[in-house]
Amino acid sequence: MQTTNLIIKKALCVVALATIPALLHAQGFGAGYGPPLQVIPPSQEFASSDAHYAWLLEQANGGTQHTVESIPRWYGLWTTAGNTHMDIFIDGGMTGTVREGVLTPAYEAAYKERWRQQQEEGQVRYDRLTHCEPTGLPRWLLEPYSHEFVNMPQESYLINDFANSIRRVYIGQQHQNLYGTHSWYGDTIGFWDGNKLITHTKYLLPADFTRWSPMTSNQFEQVETWELKQYGNGIERLEVQATFYDPNAFIKPVNAVYAFRHAVELETAGHRPQHWECELSSNSYMDENGKTNFHLPGEEGYKDARGSTLFPELPGQSRDPIYNTTLSTDTSK
Amino acid sequence: MKNVFVRTLITLATTLMLVSSVEAHHSFSMFERVVQKVVTGTVARWAFNNPHSWLYINVKNPDGTETLWSFEGAAPPQLVGRGVTGNTFKPGETLTVMYCPLIDGRAGGALGWIKKTDNTYVTPSDGGCRSDPDTIKRWEGWIEQGFRSNEEAPPVAGV
Repeated sequence: MQTTNLIIKKALCVVALATIPALLHAQGFGAGYGPPLQVIPPSQEFASSDAHYAWLLEQANGGTQHTVESIPRWYGLWTTAGNTHMDIFIDGGMTGTVREGVLTPAYEAAYKERWRQQQEEGQVRYDRLTHCEPTGLPRWLLEPYSHEFVNMPQESYLINDFANSIRRVYIGQQHQNLYGTHSWYGDTIGFWDGNKLITHTKYLLPADFTRWSPMTSNQFEQVETWELKQYGNGIERLEVQATFYDPNAFIKPVNAVYAFRHAVELETAGHRPQHWECELSSNSYMDENGKTNFHLPGEEGYKDARGSTLFPELPGQSRDPIYNTTLSTDTSK
Repeated sequence: MKNVFVRTLITLATTLMLVSSVEAHHSFSMFERVVQKVVTGTVARWAFNNPHSWLYINVKNPDGTETLWSFEGAAPPQLVGRGVTGNTFKPGETLTVMYCPLIDGRAGGALGWIKKTDNTYVTPSDGGCRSDPDTIKRWEGWIEQGFRSNEEAPPVAGV
């Protein structure tokens, strides 16, 4: 009887857990704030992100030159408020399947395995962020850690509190690549079209949309239009219309919209983002089965985020200065 | 049957609430998320660190020895909005912790809810385990009946 109960419980739980990707598909992170998000694709197709961006710049007659007084202000802390990116890749809601013909054959096959793990096992086995990779793009757009946006006439700073990820948007400039390679946030240029910030990003490292979404390649580029929108009942939402280009991953460019809302709960609590890193504070890793696991205190590989520095014999070298705690190493039950 | 349907609806609603927090920096595949257990111990450390918070408690074993248990919670920016801070748990404080265990059986898991000695609950959970009001209410009944694991209790949808 107890075995039967357990089987029933596990079956019910699998059903519940399986709804998560479906809900993500339908809602996106933090969705439900304001009216449903609507993707606005470009009015024509472009052969490249460069052509797309050049066309937008031309439509804006070279862009609006804002001053410190006139530039749109997006003050405060923000958090994710939904996105539509899963609509690009998944058909069929709760029992959804990977939409065919969107991704190139190689990327589609890789994504089908990722989606199979999510659907059948309830979790993708491993996430590249586990070993402290930055989110990169496009994933930066949906990480639920807080965001801040600082607009200046010559430059905008788009900040995600996930390991201090900062995108710099150089207004009215051309792309540069002095390093001669690609990076996690690439090189972003932009211009203002009235109150809209249009950006173009290239020279990116391979990344992904999320761990349960497709991977992207080192040829991934994106064009974004950022606009603060007001709706009824005091709802204010920062919306990002994005077109993604990647000849290695996509059959043709794809479009999605992402949103942010004021993180009122964080501001009310007085939250102030702090610098943090993952190398010294995370003990998760990929185990011999390709799954995620942890090093616990006392085990080989465990990193004590609140332990001492390389100079424990000196006073004041603990990274836990208020409580000054130490951990025992006995984790055997 | 009606109860199962209602519970399933509750689970769906709860899952919706969880959606904003399931994008942690790692998968939750290391946790047995269908299993919930309860343990009581004293705080060795509350590490309110990114990318995840960790609670370490010392738990007395039947033979009188102590084992250090490790539990992972959500990231500080997610917890601050729930009223949880780096000072919420003090070293030496006694806590009862509901958690979803590590699959490999080591002394640790994903945080669900935490009950303090003043009978208040704190919910630092991430996507690895649940801490919604329905789960807490259900567990209050189970603890009264002496259960320490949902595997000992009657089946409930989504648990």
